[in-house]
Amino acid sequence: MEFKYAVLILSLLLLIFLLYKEIKRASKARLLWRIFASIIAVSCFALLIIPVKYKSGFKNNANEIILLTKGADLDELAKIRGAKYVLGASNAKVNNAVPIPDLSYFLANHKDVRKLNIYGEGLSKHELRNLHEYELNFHPSEGITGIISASWPAQIKSTQQLLVQGIYQNKSEEKVKLLFKGMGSSIDSISVEGKSSKSFSFSTQPKQIGKAVYNLISFDGKDTLAKEPVPFLVDEQLPFKVLILASFPDFEYKFLKKWLYDNHYPLAFRSQISKDKYSSEFLAMDSINLNKISTNSIKKFDILIIDEEELAAMNAGERSAIDAAVTGGMGLFIRVSSLKALTPASSKFGRFEVSNTKEKELKVMLKDEKHKFSSLPLEQKLFLRSTQNDLPLLTDGGGKVLVNSTIKGAGKVLVSSLPSTFNWLLTGKKNDFTTYWSTILSAAVKKRNENQSLKILPQFPVVNEKARLIVDIPTSGKIPSLNIDSIRLTPLQNIELPFEWEAVFYPTKNGWHNLVVNQSAEPFFIYQKTDWQALKIQQKILATRQFVAKAKIKESKIKQSAVNVEEELSIWWFFVGFLLASAFLWFEARILDAK
Amino acid sequence: MIKTEGQKWIYDLRMKWIWLHLVRLFVISLAVALLLSAVLIYVLHMPPLVCCIILPLALIIALLRKPIWKTSQQEFCRYANNKYPELEESADLLIQNPDSLSLLEQLQRSKIEKRITEISSPQEPVKKLYAGLALLATALIISFAIAKIPKIKENNKSGSHALRPLPAIKENTLPEISDFSATIIPPAYTGKPERKQKQFSIKAETGAKINWKIETNIAVERLKITFNDKESVSLKASNKERTTWLFSKTLDKTGFYQLEIDGKKSDLYQLEAVADLPVIIKITRSKQHTTIDVGQPQKFNLNTVLTDDYGVNDAFISATMASGKGEGVSFTEKKLSFNTRFNNEKNKVLNREIDLKSLGMKPGDELYFFVKAMDNHGQSSRSDVYFVSIVDTTELMSMAGMTNGVNLVPEYFRSQRQIIIDTEKLLKAQSSLAADAFKNRSNELGIDQKLLRLRYGQFLGEENETEIGGDHDDHAEHSGEEEKFGDVTAIMDKYAHKHDIAEDATFFEPEMKAQLKAVLTEMWNSELRLRTYKPQEALPYEYKALRMLKDLQQKSRAYVAKTTVKTASLKPEKRLSGELDKITQPVQNMSAAQKDQRTTNLKTTLALLESRKAGKKFSEGDRYLLSETEKYMIGAAADNPATYLNALTSLRRLSLNKILHQKDIDVVQQAIQKMIKGDSPKPQIQTSLPAATLYQNYFNNLNKTGR
Repeated sequence: MEFKYAVLILSLLLLIFLLYKEIKRASKARLLWRIFASIIAVSCFALLIIPVKYKSGFKNNANEIILLTKGADLDELAKIRGAKYVLGASNAKVNNAVPIPDLSYFLANHKDVRKLNIYGEGLSKHELRNLHEYELNFHPSEGITGIISASWPAQIKSTQQLLVQGIYQNKSEEKVKLLFKGMGSSIDSISVEGKSSKSFSFSTQPKQIGKAVYNLISFDGKDTLAKEPVPFLVDEQLPFKVLILASFPDFEYKFLKKWLYDNHYPLAFRSQISKDKYSSEFLAMDSINLNKISTNSIKKFDILIIDEEELAAMNAGERSAIDAAVTGGMGLFIRVSSLKALTPASSKFGRFEVSNTKEKELKVMLKDEKHKFSSLPLEQKLFLRSTQNDLPLLTDGGGKVLVNSTIKGAGKVLVSSLPSTFNWLLTGKKNDFTTYWSTILSAAVKKRNENQSLKILPQFPVVNEKARLIVDIPTSGKIPSLNIDSIRLTPLQNIELPFEWEAVFYPTKNGWHNLVVNQSAEPFFIYQKTDWQALKIQQKILATRQFVAKAKIKESKIKQSAVNVEEELSIWWFFVGFLLASAFLWFEARILDAK
Repeated sequence: MIKTEGQKWIYDLRMKWIWLHLVRLFVISLAVALLLSAVLIYVLHMPPLVCCIILPLALIIALLRKPIWKTSQQEFCRYANNKYPELEESADLLIQNPDSLSLLEQLQRSKIEKRITEISSPQEPVKKLYAGLALLATALIISFAIAKIPKIKENNKSGSHALRPLPAIKENTLPEISDFSATIIPPAYTGKPERKQKQFSIKAETGAKINWKIETNIAVERLKITFNDKESVSLKASNKERTTWLFSKTLDKTGFYQLEIDGKKSDLYQLEAVADLPVIIKITRSKQHTTIDVGQPQKFNLNTVLTDDYGVNDAFISATMASGKGEGVSFTEKKLSFNTRFNNEKNKVLNREIDLKSLGMKPGDELYFFVKAMDNHGQSSRSDVYFVSIVDTTELMSMAGMTNGVNLVPEYFRSQRQIIIDTEKLLKAQSSLAADAFKNRSNELGIDQKLLRLRYGQFLGEENETEIGGDHDDHAEHSGEEEKFGDVTAIMDKYAHKHDIAEDATFFEPEMKAQLKAVLTEMWNSELRLRTYKPQEALPYEYKALRMLKDLQQKSRAYVAKTTVKTASLKPEKRLSGELDKITQPVQNMSAAQKDQRTTNLKTTLALLESRKAGKKFSEGDRYLLSETEKYMIGAAADNPATYLNALTSLRRLSLNKILHQKDIDVVQQAIQKMIKGDSPKPQIQTSLPAATLYQNYFNNLNKTGR
C-alpha cells in the first residue's frame, strides 16, 4: 500500500515539475499538446509500476462439474472454463483439476452437484449405476488404435471352420498390418491404412482337438502394437443316427452310405426289393425291424433321408409316425424327382421346370457359405420355389433353388431336387461332396440338448477382476456343485429362471480354467489385463454413451451463481502509452521546435 | 653432336631400327606371355595374377638375348654398306669427323651425301615387326581357344541336370567330433567323380556309396550310427587310439541318420537320394497316324530326340506289322535299330528312314511302332505308339457292296475307277506307243476326268467349268425381251440376277459338301497332270479322289433296323401279384471298423503342445502321446527328411528338455498340421441350450394353441 502511494506522490511531483517547465518555456507553440502528452507519459509511467486490477464476474453453474476420465483431450479442455475434477489418481497432473478418488463418494458429499460433463473414455458400469439422478453430458475422446470389436465362437466342433471377425480402427498415420496366427503358422492377414478402420474376417479349419489360443497380432512396420489372444475350444464330433429309406438303391445312396460309414455315423438303410419286401443294412448300429415304420422305430434316429416315391408308397400310419417324429425334432430330407408333389410333406415347396436348358453342367452354391463347388455334369430342369417362410440352402448359379428347408414343429423338413452329387466323388472332388452333405445334414439333423451351458461375463474376464459365471442346468431344484481348481463356488439361483445359477469368481491366474459343474468340466479362458485394451475402451465409450442417451432425467433447475474473478490489466498497454507520449515530447522539442 | 647430313642419316637409321626392334620384341613377348598364362591359368589352374609376372619376365629375357641398344654406329655403317651399293662402301666416311678426312675422302663423302637423300629406308625391321604382329594374333587365337575349350567340355559333361548340393546349413555336431568328412562315390553309370563334403546332411545319387570318416578328439568307447531311427550300426575304430572311425553305406533311399558317441546322441542329419530318371523320348517328325497313298513313296522318316540325366545306352524301334483282313489278320514283330552307336550321351538326336517295302509291307497293311530307349542304369522307357498304314488299292477298286449287274452309266461318263484303270493301262503301254498317240490318249483321259468332275460338280450346284464350287460369270442373256411398262417385277428382273441359289440346290450337309469339294480338287489335280501328259503323276490324285468318293458313299448309307418283333401285351392286373413268400429279406450288419488312431492322436498332440506353450508340464499320459507322435513323425521324416527332420529334432528336444523353447513348439505344430491331411468337413450336430422343462412346456403349449 505504501509503495503504491509513494509512487503516486512521486509521479505527481514529477508531473507538476514537467508542467511548470512546459508553461515556462519560451516557445508557446503546441502548449496544450505538450501538457497533454506530459500528463499521459507520467500517468502511464506510474501505472507501469502500480498494477491495475479489476474484478469481473461471469455466470457459472454452481451445481455442474466437469469430470475428466482417462483419455480426455487436455488441450481441448484447457479452453473450457469451470470446475474440473479428475477421476482416479492417474490423471492428477491435469492443471486446475481436483482429483476425485471415488465418484459416488464425491457425489454423496456434494449434494448440490446435479450435472456432470464427462470427458474422455467415460465411466465404467458400476460407476454409471449411481448416476441415474443426474443430468449427464458425454464428450467421448476421439478413439484409439486397435481392434475395437471382435467375435468368434468359444467352442467349435472338429472339422468346423473357426471364423474370427471384427473391426480394426487405425487412428495413427502409419499403415498397420493385422496378422492372424495360430499353431506356429500365420493363417491370414490384412493391412489397415492410416486414419481408417477396416473390418476383418479370418477363417481357418483348426486341426487340433482341445484347447488352443490363436493370436491377432498388429504391427506398424516393425513394431508389434498389440497381441490379442483368441482362445477357443475344438470338440470331438458327435455322431448322429441316420435312417435312409429308398424306393430303389442308387448310386447317390451308395456313396452317401459309404461316406457316413467311413465317418462312423450310425446308419440304417432300407431299400425296397419287391412289394413289402425290403433289404436292410445296419452300419455301426444294432439291427431293428424296419419293415414297418413306427413311432417307436423311428424315435432313435436324428435324421431321415427318403425319396418322394418311397414316402408316397407308405401308408397313413407310417406317414403320421414320421410326421410326429419331425414335430419332435427329427430332420426329414426328401429327394424329389418329378414335377408333381406326391405327398403332403413334400408339397411344402412349389416346383417348376425349366424346359430348355442349354447348360450341360450345373453350378451350385450354398446360400450362406463361401465354398466354391465345381460344377456337376447334370442337365438340371427341376427347381423349387421359395417363399417367405422357408430358407433356401442350395441354389444354382442363377439363384434358382435346389434345396429348400422349412421348420415343422421342432424339426426341419428339407426338400432337394438335386438328383445326384456322387459325381463329385467320381471326379475326385471329395471336398465338394463332403461340404455339400455336411451342410445339408447339419441343417436338418435333430438338435441335441446340452447337459449344461456356461456363460461368462464380462466378454473378456480379466485376472483379479470379478467374473460372473452363469450356468444353465436342466435339473432344477438341486443346488449344483461348482468348482474351479478345487475352489468351491457358491451358486445363486435365478429367481425367475430356476435352472439358471450364477456364481462370482475372482481369477488370480490368466489362461485356461476349468469350471467343474457336477463332475463335468467346462473350460473357460481368463485374459491378462493388457489383452484387448482397445476393445474394452471402445466398449466403455459405447456404454457411457448409451447410458447418457438413456438418462431421461429432465434438466433440473440449475442455480446460477456469480463468480467474481480478479483480473490484472496487462502493463504493456501503459508502456505503449508512455512510449508514445514521451516520443512526442522528444520529437516536438528537437525537430518541430528547431524549425 | 650431329654435324653433317650423313651423320644424321646414319643416326636416324639406327634410331628407327632400334625402336622398331623394341616394338617387335614387346609384341613377341606379349604373344609368348599370353600363351603361357593361358596354359597356366586354364590348364594348370594357377591364379590369374601369374600373367602379371610372365609379361615382364618374357620382355626381359627377349631384351637380354639381343641387346640392340649396344649396336654401335659403325655396325650400322657396315650394314648400310652391305645393304645399299649406292653408298660405295663409304658409309663410314659419313660418321667420321669431316675435318679429319683427306681430300679424296671428303670428295667421296660429299658424293655420297648427295645420294643418301634418294636411298629409301630399309624394309627389313618393318617386315620383322609384321611377323611379330602375326605371331601375336596367333597367340591370341590359341589362348582364347585354351580358355574356352574346357568350358565347352564342361558344359557337355554337366548338361542341364547338374546335381545341386544341399544348401549349406549350420549343423550342430557333437563336441567330441574333431573332424568329419563324407566321401560320396556316385554309381558308375552317372559318370561322376567322387566328391567329398564336410557337411553331415548328404544329397547323393541313388546307389551312391557314402564313406563316413569321423575323427574324435578323445578316445571313444562306442560310436553308433542309426538310420531312420531303426537300423543301428556300431562302428569299428580304425586306429588304436580309438579316434578314427570309418563307415560306409550304399544310399538306396531317402531318410535321415544320427550319430551316437558313447550314448550321446547327435542331431538328426538328412540323407537325400536323387533317383535316376528314365530316358525322355520325343518324336519330332512323323505324325501319330500316317497314311501312305498309292504313288507316294512307301517310306517315312522318323526323327526322335532322346534325353536322359546321365546317358542313353540303347534305343530301338519296336515295330509290329498287321497284315490281312478280318479273321486272317497276322502280326509280325520286328526290332529296328537306329544305325548309330550310343556313347552314353545325355542328348541324342536320331533319324531313321523306314522303308516299308523292305519290311515286307503290302498295301492294306498297317505298321504300329514305338521307340524304346534304355539309359545307362538299365531303366527303359518307351514312347507312344505311332501308326502307319498303306492304302489298299484293291479294296478301293472292288465293287463290294455296290455291285450292279447292268452298267447304267452312259458311255461318256466314265467312273473314277475306270479312269484309274485306263491310266494304268496307258502307262503300261507307254513304251510301245508313239509319243503323239500317248499324249493323245492322256489328253482324252484328262477330258474324261473333266467330265466326271463336272458331273460331280453338279451335286454342288456348280455352273462353271473352271472353278471348284466357285461363283459364275454374269449372264448376258437378259437382253432382247419385250419391255413392259408398269411391270415392277419385269423392271426388277432386268436389274436382278435370278436363278437358283447354288447352295440351296442340293440336299447335302455342309460337311459332305466340303468333302465333295475336296474330291473335286483331287480330280482337278489329276486332270491337270493328264492334260499335260504326265499320267504317272496324275495317278496318286486319281486314287485319292477315288478313296474319298468311297468314303462319301459309305457316309451316305443309312442303317434301318428290322422292326418285326412283336411283344405280348401287358396285363396290368397281374403285375406285382406274384408269390413273394419265398423271397427273404436280406439284412446286412456292419460294425464300425476300428478307427485309425493316428489322426486323432496327432490332433490331440496339437492341443497338448498348445497347453505346453502356456507353461503346463507334460504328464505321463502326455508323454505316451508324444512318443506316439514321434513314431508317426519318424515315418514321415524317413520319406521326407527335408520337411520333417527339423520338427523331429524339435519334438525330441521338447519331450526331453525341461526348458521350453517357443520356436520348437511352433516347428512341431507346423509339421503336425502338415501331417494331418485331407480333413474334410463332417456334418455337425447342432446343440441347443439345456432343455429346461420351462422351454419344453412353452414349446408344447405353442404346439397346442398353434395351427
